[in-house]
Amino acid sequence: MSLERFIEAADKHEVFADRLKEIGLDGCKFHFSAKDNLCSTEFQARAGSRILEGYRPPFDATPIKKMREEGGLLIGKTNMDEFGFGTFSVNSAYGVPKNPFDPERSCGGSSGGAAAAACIIPDHVALGVSTGGSIACPASFCGVVGFTPTYGRVSRYGLIDYGNSLDKVGILSRTSKDVRKFLPVISGKDERDPTSCAQPQLDMSGKVAEVAVPSELTQNISAEVMTCFENALKKLEEMGIKVRRISMPSLKYATPAYYILATSEASTNLARYCGMRFGVMNEDFDKSFNEFFSKPRSEEFGDEAKRRVLLGTFSRMVGFRNKYYIKALQVRQLIIREYNKVFEECDAVVSPTMPFLPKRFDEIASMAPLEIYQADFLTVPPNLTGMPHLSVPCGYYDNLPVGLQAVAAQWNEGKLVQFAENWESNFEYKFPEVSL
Amino acid sequence: MKIGLEVHVQLPTKSKLFCSCPTGSENGPNGSICPVCLGFPGSKPSLNRKALEMGILIAKFMGCTITDRIWFSRKTYFYPDLPKNFQTTQYESPVGTDGVFVVGGKEIHINRVHIEEDPGRIKRVGKAGSELALVDYDRSGIPLVEIVTAPDMSSPAEAREFLTSLMTELRQLIGVSGQEQTMRVDANISVGVERVEIKNITGVKNVERGLKFEVIRQTKMLAAKKKIVRETRHFDEERGVTTPGREKEFEEDYGYIGEPDLGTYTITEMAAALKVPETPLTRAKRFEKEYGMQFSTAKQLVATSWDLADIFEELAAKIGAEKAASWCLGALSSRWKGLQEKMSDKLHETLLQIVTEAAEGRITDSDAKLRIEALSKGKEMASVDDLDIDVDGLIAQIADEHPEVVEDYRNNPKAANFIIGRVMKETKGKFSSQEIAEKAKKELENRL
Repeated sequence: MSLERFIEAADKHEVFADRLKEIGLDGCKFHFSAKDNLCSTEFQARAGSRILEGYRPPFDATPIKKMREEGGLLIGKTNMDEFGFGTFSVNSAYGVPKNPFDPERSCGGSSGGAAAAACIIPDHVALGVSTGGSIACPASFCGVVGFTPTYGRVSRYGLIDYGNSLDKVGILSRTSKDVRKFLPVISGKDERDPTSCAQPQLDMSGKVAEVAVPSELTQNISAEVMTCFENALKKLEEMGIKVRRISMPSLKYATPAYYILATSEASTNLARYCGMRFGVMNEDFDKSFNEFFSKPRSEEFGDEAKRRVLLGTFSRMVGFRNKYYIKALQVRQLIIREYNKVFEECDAVVSPTMPFLPKRFDEIASMAPLEIYQADFLTVPPNLTGMPHLSVPCGYYDNLPVGLQAVAAQWNEGKLVQFAENWESNFEYKFPEVSL
Repeated sequence: MKIGLEVHVQLPTKSKLFCSCPTGSENGPNGSICPVCLGFPGSKPSLNRKALEMGILIAKFMGCTITDRIWFSRKTYFYPDLPKNFQTTQYESPVGTDGVFVVGGKEIHINRVHIEEDPGRIKRVGKAGSELALVDYDRSGIPLVEIVTAPDMSSPAEAREFLTSLMTELRQLIGVSGQEQTMRVDANISVGVERVEIKNITGVKNVERGLKFEVIRQTKMLAAKKKIVRETRHFDEERGVTTPGREKEFEEDYGYIGEPDLGTYTITEMAAALKVPETPLTRAKRFEKEYGMQFSTAKQLVATSWDLADIFEELAAKIGAEKAASWCLGALSSRWKGLQEKMSDKLHETLLQIVTEAAEGRITDSDAKLRIEALSKGKEMASVDDLDIDVDGLIAQIADEHPEVVEDYRNNPKAANFIIGRVMKETKGKFSSQEIAEKAKKELENRL
């Protein structure tokens, strides 16, 4: 049984790649990993949170089940920011994944562990999850392809919720060939997730002939990233892809709208972790239930989780709800309309994926929460609107990867895969030699 | 005095509102639970369409405006019986709004009808002070309909009548299986200006008791020039009093947001396709209009049995409403229990035939009643000649024993009744009185 063998190997080796070397595929066709918020009966599902320590789900997440049915071997779970709350994977209760290009730097987040695994292990498929950019950001920082499908394309059954109207399961891998191969595997209607049942048939054809670059997404970008991005645009033009400069004024509202919706939903999702059924149960049975519930929540949630519960609870309070939560829902529709207008003429909207190179941990430590939230302004728009998007490495600065993000219209995943394949035949990716 | 009610009734579906767990409790405490109704991380709800249909049907029945596009909302509050610590309910988009329910000729405005999930059930065991709270999640996720009225009721008795009538209607409409004592009600009552809410009262009788207590309490306070505070109170079933809520209550803030996992549903077409069947009270109302019946009589007829009301309508078409009513409320109604147990299409037809024959004078009323009586006891009333008993011989025998009767008959034909009665008694109602009467008269005529 592969599970026992993996546990045995895991005791000796900390890194998946190492374990794989020892036991191989164990009869399976390929190996894959899953972000720790995807449930599987074989492993704990902790979602990077101490409050879920020891939790073994009684069921498999649909995407994991589908990968297994295709012949996949789940070799482990990847580290992440607690419940997906973060941009640098530093908000995990279980250590911090380090960037394979430079261990002093972050993998990005929140699917940081997934991006690192995709980068380090050849032929590895990492299932990641994106709510506001949690696939694109770490893909960019770790120099891999990160693909986020349209909201509702991949079943979320078995995904531990962050923001249910925003969460999407996607794929991180070294190249887009895995996306072409495995996106159809994990996609499809699943009656256990009603939001997956509205999707049209996945169409893997399509072509990107013209891209749009919104000026709103080329401001406040570091010079290093901008240089790489402009070079990439030149290359796209050389490849025969038209590049059009446009303006999408509504995008400036995307980040606040996203954080209001995501935290509002998150604050309700996290309510169940109260030490009664989930979370560490305390012995204070003589306390009132409110006190009983508060203790594990105070002790087990990390700072960022608490911050987001507070923000979300505030945004949906009487007196603020209309001003924030309802307004944010309207902003989302506004941005969707603006995207759709662009897609009438262009196949994709492109921008850098992250506004800066992978940050060093000491730099991250001195960033204010708001500053970190604002760093998501490039990845948030497609996530807020549920549009499919991907990040591909588009350049290297000082041996650090820089990502390019392409967004397509709803259900147009095929265009993006073709775009990435086209890009890969004109640009060579680099992967660091990591000594294990 | 103003009284408004929020009524919760369980929808009689086979499975829960958002998962496939059975709604029955045959498996013991925590026997019908799954990752969805326990709120396991990663589980997702899927809507039970049957529950939605029932909710729409109720809203339609009450004449509500059906909402075109509905969705569900998360009502967040922490409580041990609530697995997710939010209840999935409807907030901005109830299934129906602005309906009406008529009770005793008075229109009670219905503000809204929506569906939602029930939380689990808490059972407290052990002595006060060291009691333990046990939670049974079998109820978690059971579908409920919530019906919210305007404060249109003006007495506890009227509130009781509203609830009783509502339950009668819902039984017929969607097959609600529960009794009146399973209804859960939040009652708002204001005797003066400020209103008080009595939360979570179980059963119609307790609603009336709780309201009555509040009327007295509030009236006394007003008389003593004390101020009534706006608050939530609880009804203590054992003592029959309301007490202030245990926790300090304030304007509750449930922080409603949409439930993204369930998406939105356009229900216009579904609602149009659903036919509202006639309910007991609407049927009684129709009887009043169509057949000129007293409403209370019509209500009694319909309440006795839906089948009996069917028979009434068929008879009314043949023999007129007045006669039909007299038979249905009399002979049929008084033997209905027995008849209902044996009801079949054939019996239904036989009853129609007997009453029609009697009404048309082809058989006597008492004969018809005897046959109905026999049918209610499971006996088929045969015609006299079919039976082995020698009725002619029996008549002759009685006539022999009582020559005075034969003598009497000469001047008084009613004297035959003695013989008829005796024969019927001896034959235990197995024969039609008309046939016996004919035979007896024939015998007596012969003897003269």
